[in-house]
Amino acid sequence: MESVLKLPFLCIIGTLVTAFCMPVLARWKKDFCAPVATFAVGSVFITTIVIAYNVMHGGVIRYAVSGWAPPWGIEIVVDSLSSMMIMLLSGICFLILIYSFSAIKHELERKVVGWYYTAFLLTLAGMMGLVVSNDIFNFYVFIEVTGLGACSLVAAKGTRQATEAALKYLLLATIGSGFILFGIGFLYMITGHLNLTFIAQELVLVKDSYPFLIWTALSFFTVGFGVKSALFPLHLWLPDAHSSAPSPSSAVLSSLVVKVYIIAFLKILLIAFGLEIFHETFIRHLILVLSIIAMLAGSFFAFVQIELKRRLAYSTVAQVGYVFLGIGLGTPWGLAAGLLHIVVHAFMKTCLFLTAGAVYYQTGIKKVNQFSNMGYKMPITMGAFTIAAFSMVGIPLFGGFISKYGLALGSLEADLPLIILVIIVSGLLNATYYFPIIGQAYFSQGDNEHENSHQDNNHGDSHVDNKFQIDQVPLSMLVPIVILALGIIYLGIFPGTILEFINKTVTALL
Amino acid sequence: MDLELLFINFPYFVAIILFSMGTLIVLTQTNLIKKVIGINILQSAIFLFFITVGNIEGGVPPIYDPQFPDVLYINPLPSCLMLTGIVVSFSVTAFALALIVKLYLFYGTICTPNFMKLK
Repeated sequence: MESVLKLPFLCIIGTLVTAFCMPVLARWKKDFCAPVATFAVGSVFITTIVIAYNVMHGGVIRYAVSGWAPPWGIEIVVDSLSSMMIMLLSGICFLILIYSFSAIKHELERKVVGWYYTAFLLTLAGMMGLVVSNDIFNFYVFIEVTGLGACSLVAAKGTRQATEAALKYLLLATIGSGFILFGIGFLYMITGHLNLTFIAQELVLVKDSYPFLIWTALSFFTVGFGVKSALFPLHLWLPDAHSSAPSPSSAVLSSLVVKVYIIAFLKILLIAFGLEIFHETFIRHLILVLSIIAMLAGSFFAFVQIELKRRLAYSTVAQVGYVFLGIGLGTPWGLAAGLLHIVVHAFMKTCLFLTAGAVYYQTGIKKVNQFSNMGYKMPITMGAFTIAAFSMVGIPLFGGFISKYGLALGSLEADLPLIILVIIVSGLLNATYYFPIIGQAYFSQGDNEHENSHQDNNHGDSHVDNKFQIDQVPLSMLVPIVILALGIIYLGIFPGTILEFINKTVTALL
Repeated sequence: MDLELLFINFPYFVAIILFSMGTLIVLTQTNLIKKVIGINILQSAIFLFFITVGNIEGGVPPIYDPQFPDVLYINPLPSCLMLTGIVVSFSVTAFALALIVKLYLFYGTICTPNFMKLK
């Protein structure tokens, strides 16, 4: 048991050390970077499984870094939520790193490969630290590490659009973390502590003396984390950054980076401020209204995009709305569904971005209106895309259905039955922008054939073009896509394992 | 009475005003260097705020002196936190400036409206 305590700390330090070894390694042998990074993240993933097993059977892990007891030192707390999140983060990153083996060579210049892995591992270390830390100033440090890492993941591509998007992301993310730091300052001023547990104890005693200061701190946190996690009116940086990055980066940014900020916000909201303040102040209503607007408007914006990755990026805005809706409802089922949606959406969005990258790898197609025949050219990739898109819409048997069903139950619990209508409308809007792509890929070959035969009058040639063939992308790109697609189906049919973690979290928080 | 309260809390007001100014500059200026300056103003405001939180009227720097064991020390923790904050601010500025240099090589200008014309 004693050695288990140190494991979460070792995970973060190990990832950080590997990150800083990467540029040196790249100088010596460029091809070693990818296997070493993948091996490191793979072993971190196995370690997180051990941690999760211990947390589920032995209770919460509390570890004081370098021996300083909690009120003075930094404390690492791994409860069921944190253990689930670090498992998810390292697992998805592991799959994305396997995918990057060949994708990175195709999408990036050779000289930036070493630095790319540095940025990737730094982002992962920052995210894991943010999830397991129990010290709010440490939150700020890890937020900045994650933010800078994510910006460099976007900028790694080196094109005009990517550089511009990275700068926009950097400036807005810095404003966001400035707001968060100001909020931390207010909390420190009210309570005199930086440890979440001690803040919670102190805040109960003094909350009647500083009503306005608590409101101010809460609003600063809401704006800061809203910018960071792209809550609807503050999402302006997201579409550019997520669509112009290389596809493995887009997958990390869209499925994981945005979510860890929500987890941090949830921790501050429910652990530090506590349920009473959460219900008394109107922050809950604000989050509810913004998330409903996000679910509808994000889908509308996604509908009008032509570029596939941009469409997926706007879809992320809508899905962040779902997660915030779960938090805003504040009922056991609502919160559970919001947390489940974080997991399911990580699988779905990673799968979608990786398939978009695979399609670009084989055919060079980026626009959604050029997908005709794709189901015959790349059957495995398009099959995974179809599964992820069905799950996104919320069709039963796929993961997305469970979380949407949970949100509907949560809104009944919170006595707001009209929200079910919003969930259904948003699901239908999802269908309007995913189904045309799938329909085109499988059923619209006639159109293209007609055009071809018109142009070069060679019927035989176009016939060969439409023949069913297996994907022409490397195996290292196909395997993660297939695993993710199977994971979505698994989550849809047997959500029990994940729900066990989430139920434990919800009973602890509410 | 109210004026006196305002005078006591003077540094907090300055911090909030600087913070708003910085945010406004980042969001409204079109020159990218000015945006970075706005980021720096914003972060300096936060440093000022934290150091004000740690300050105690009439306190001395927290260095233990055996001759005066009973003097009032200021709270050193917020100042220490701000050392980290300064490092973060420094790296964000460096990264932003590097990106601006790259954009200048692409477009030949650092004014955002001109980017649209040159596309």
